[in-house]
Amino acid sequence: MYLKINCIFFIILFIFPYSLLSQKNAKDFVFKEKISEGLLQLENFNYTSKITTFFINDQPDSTLVYTTKAFNTETINTKLSDYYNFLRGFSFYKKGVLIEAEKELLKVSTDFKYYYTVIAFLGTVTLESSQFEKALNYFKQLEYIPDEELLTIKSAKVKDNIGVCYLHLEKYEEAERYLKESLRLIAQLQDTIRLTSAYGNLANLYYEQYKDNQAIPLFEKAYALAKTTNDFTSKKHTALNMSVVEENRKELAKALQYRKEYEQWTDSINNQSKIYATVEAEKKIAVEKKEKEVAILKADNDVKLAQRNTYLYSAIILFVMLGVSLYFYREKVQRNKIIKQQNEDLDDLNATKDKLFSIVSHDLRSSVNAIKTSNKKLVQTLESEQLTKVNHLLQNNSTIVNNAYSLLDNLLNWALLQTKQAFFQATNLRLAHTVEHVACNYKAILADKNISFTNEVHKKDIVYADKESLKIVLRNLIDNAIKFSNPKDAIRVYTQNDNSELCQLIVEDTGMGMSEATRKELLKDTSLLAKKQHEDIIGTGLGMQLCKSMIKKNNGTFSIESKLGKGTKMIISLPKRPT
Amino acid sequence: MEHINILIVEDKPQQSEVLVQILEENNFNIVGVATTFKEAVALFYAEHVDIAIIDIFLHDRPDGIAFAEFIDAQPNGLKPFLFLTSATSRDIFERAKLTKPFGYIVKPYNELELIYAIENTIEKFYGQEDSFSGEDENTIISEDHLFIKKGKSLKKVHVDQIILIAVEEKYCNIITEKEKFVILISLVKILELLDENKFYRTHRNFIVNIQKIEEIIPQDNLILLEGEYTATLSGKYKDDIINKFRTLK
Repeated sequence: MYLKINCIFFIILFIFPYSLLSQKNAKDFVFKEKISEGLLQLENFNYTSKITTFFINDQPDSTLVYTTKAFNTETINTKLSDYYNFLRGFSFYKKGVLIEAEKELLKVSTDFKYYYTVIAFLGTVTLESSQFEKALNYFKQLEYIPDEELLTIKSAKVKDNIGVCYLHLEKYEEAERYLKESLRLIAQLQDTIRLTSAYGNLANLYYEQYKDNQAIPLFEKAYALAKTTNDFTSKKHTALNMSVVEENRKELAKALQYRKEYEQWTDSINNQSKIYATVEAEKKIAVEKKEKEVAILKADNDVKLAQRNTYLYSAIILFVMLGVSLYFYREKVQRNKIIKQQNEDLDDLNATKDKLFSIVSHDLRSSVNAIKTSNKKLVQTLESEQLTKVNHLLQNNSTIVNNAYSLLDNLLNWALLQTKQAFFQATNLRLAHTVEHVACNYKAILADKNISFTNEVHKKDIVYADKESLKIVLRNLIDNAIKFSNPKDAIRVYTQNDNSELCQLIVEDTGMGMSEATRKELLKDTSLLAKKQHEDIIGTGLGMQLCKSMIKKNNGTFSIESKLGKGTKMIISLPKRPT
Repeated sequence: MEHINILIVEDKPQQSEVLVQILEENNFNIVGVATTFKEAVALFYAEHVDIAIIDIFLHDRPDGIAFAEFIDAQPNGLKPFLFLTSATSRDIFERAKLTKPFGYIVKPYNELELIYAIENTIEKFYGQEDSFSGEDENTIISEDHLFIKKGKSLKKVHVDQIILIAVEEKYCNIITEKEKFVILISLVKILELLDENKFYRTHRNFIVNIQKIEEIIPQDNLILLEGEYTATLSGKYKDDIINKFRTLK
């Protein structure tokens, strides 16, 4: 029996501390207005006005959702967060989610304008969640605070709650004192709901102490009062109390009736856990959404970074490729230019070669033909034994052969030079000997043509050159000098050695000379073959070209001084020592 | 004075005939004309050769180079040689060069070129370049011989035949058992190149062959030599000579 009562009490005890604030009266409105004013006075944030509206309109769910949003999206200062936390605590309390309510209220700082109200709520919440010691502690803090500072919370109610705390802590005497005091004060306030709970509390106190006679009328009074109000909670609690009382009096029919009534009222109220779940879910969704957003942003960033890097690398690669292709393009253009130039040169050379061939073969053909006819004549003359004539013819033949030979010699040397097969070794060379050796071959012709030849080169003149190539040059120059000289002309070879680096070797004749145009033509680098102007006098030009090439190869220079009809000076400048 | 002995290695008779003709006209002594490598080697051993003229191609093979290599390989009998070639081809020249020829001559050549090439080869071989081609000298001195350019021709004199050398400014009078002649050479060079164990300076102007000394008369500052030649002995060299002479006798 006792156990049963105890058990019942447990249920009952949830009931009465409730409605520290009564929703339906003007005070409630005042409380809300004050809080809202305080909130709206603060800096205007996105959600402040909305939250305030929801708060005033008693929409705890929306209030919770928007404060969550506000916390998630805005930077909030302490003052505002105090308000928000208070509102959240209040809303949770309204929803009956006491643990969350307590948590939120505890977040409110002591600087909060309505801090006593917060404590009052904390007391209520802890009391409702059966943490009686804590609740008693909170309410004791408020016991002597004047009503004005408590913001519509009446000291009567505070006392009532203290009483309830004591009741639960089974300090009955203290409890009775406070409860009676509060009942007296509440009766003055004419607040039916509070009065109901005050009666209920007192009734519980007595019932707890098995003072059924005192308790039952009070329960009945509370029940009667609750019936006059619209407050489901009061109705529910008083009905439950009555049912327990009737059950204990074994009035089971009555008890059942009360119990049914209680169930009815419970149904009206009992959607709170579901709502809480909704809030939690919403919160969770918000957090998830946020996390998702963050993840997306992060991914976005990664992607952007990767993209940027890709762009950068591709730009670099493209740039490099561009540079490389430009380089190759330029190379190609240059190569093409060179190739084109070479092609032209080759064409020129080929043309020259063809011309050379035709002239050389023509020359050789005439030479050989001349010998052929001469030989025929020779045979005839020999038959008639005209020996002086034979001798003359032989000399003639020898001249022709000599000419043909020097042409062939030049041709060979030219070929060797072109194919780079010629042996070339520069040494210190005594010019006097070289000139003498070359001139030796021309003694007969010179005598025959009655041309005087003098080698005035000093024995001490030494140049650094290749002997064979210098001989070729000298042969050609002397050959030319003889060719362009008339009988009684003179050919003189001498040196001018007044430069420390170069020695000038000069082949001078007093022959027919040449025009300025011919001179220039001969000295031109590319000019190879002068046209045959008249038979037997102007040659292929091969000799001249060979001379120029050979002199160049010996690091020397070549020049011509000439006056038409007066004679020609061929000047070779050769280095004296290795360069 | 003797002629210079020349060995010709040439396979074509027309070529060698011309060569022989020119050389003989210039007072050279041809010890033989070899047409093959074998013949050349045999002649080289059999005759006293002063210089060899080698055609690079013998019967279309570069046997001339082989013969040059053979001469190069003689430890004591190394003699000057020069190549005769018709081609100015570089390959062959590069190969021939490895044998360190002392000269070469390119066909066709004239008399002057040939003589010059021979002289040049001897100059190079004895390391006395410009002795013939320069203006101031005309003699090359080897261990055994003096090679002397007389006019256009080249002669040699065995050093052992020299009795006395009398210096007269730029000239040196060489007196041998058989003849007297003048050469162009500086005293410094002649002293440097002659064997100092055979030839002594007795006076500012005299160099004598120590083996030709018959008597020294110090009081008269006179040296009596073979063939009744005399040389003056000056105070500066007197003691030196007498000392050396005594040790030698």
